[in-house]
Amino acid sequence: MGKIVFAGAMSHVLDPEYYQRVCGDVGRQKTEEAIAAIAGMGERFSATKADALVVVADDHLNAFSFNCVPAMCVRIGREVQRMTQDHAEAFDAVLEHMPLKYPLHEGLANAILEQGMAAGFDLALSWEAPVDHAFLAPVNTMHGTRPIPPLVPIWVNCFVAPQPSARRCFALGQHIARVVAKSPWNVGIIATGGLSHFPELSVPRIGETDTVFDQKLIHWMERGEHEPLQELSADELHKSGGHEFLNWMVLLGAVSPARADVRYFGELRRINLAAVEWKVA
Amino acid sequence: MSRYAVNSLLYRLKKDPQFRALFIKDPGASIGDLDLTDAERAAFVARDLRKVNELGGYLHLVISIPSLAAR
Repeated sequence: MGKIVFAGAMSHVLDPEYYQRVCGDVGRQKTEEAIAAIAGMGERFSATKADALVVVADDHLNAFSFNCVPAMCVRIGREVQRMTQDHAEAFDAVLEHMPLKYPLHEGLANAILEQGMAAGFDLALSWEAPVDHAFLAPVNTMHGTRPIPPLVPIWVNCFVAPQPSARRCFALGQHIARVVAKSPWNVGIIATGGLSHFPELSVPRIGETDTVFDQKLIHWMERGEHEPLQELSADELHKSGGHEFLNWMVLLGAVSPARADVRYFGELRRINLAAVEWKVA
Repeated sequence: MSRYAVNSLLYRLKKDPQFRALFIKDPGASIGDLDLTDAERAAFVARDLRKVNELGGYLHLVISIPSLAAR
């Protein structure tokens, strides 16, 4: 009988150079602090010797074009490629030093997909979609030079309205936990993104965060109070810049009622950086 | 507002370097046959991606198109 042996969530632009450019010295300092916290989480994850790592993240309109924007999508197959971009700008550029290919856990991905369909989760599937910084920056930061276990990338549409609800994302996490429990595998799960940044996805509001909103989320997570989190509306997430918290909602569903331990929270004017871990073992 | 036309154009500008080069050379001609409003077309021709965002262009596209990204 399988179990979830590690759960963590973290910001996913983890580039000191980028934050040095946009926030100055404090940007570099806080990014390096966040990276250190996430690397520590990675060491604890590696110690579990998990069979697979589920990574719940969003697509920044890189993997999916406007011919299809899935609400929730499971990447199946045997390996996944990192996204490539000519003359990459901003956080697309952070991918360039990362490995091109990553193994997938085909059995777990197929089980999440197939059992999901049977249980009423009409999940999208992809054999080809590449993954961007939202997946690979945390995964590579966690592992450093250690081997990366087979991944199960799961996308949540955090940006293209209408997005799935917080409650539905939580339910997907509950489904993942049920699949893992019935499987023979020990599994880690991470969710990436956030915390608040880019409110209303508006260029003039780049540089704003909502620390009060973020602290409210952290308060509930630390107490294991997941019902108010499921009541978060699309409008609240949009206005606060909390879009990517939908990824975290999937993780919360998978580990509920576990309580969160905040490993790092750092306020920047561009984004509030965070690294959070749950006691699941 | 032509949500699909605006964002599929942004996506193509990001992912298709040949089309991007055509656009940079002659924005008006390169988007001449697209179903854009006058305001959208004017914003693209002016390479004003902040304005394109205001008109419905997705943030993560307008800030990541090589050599055209909004700041």
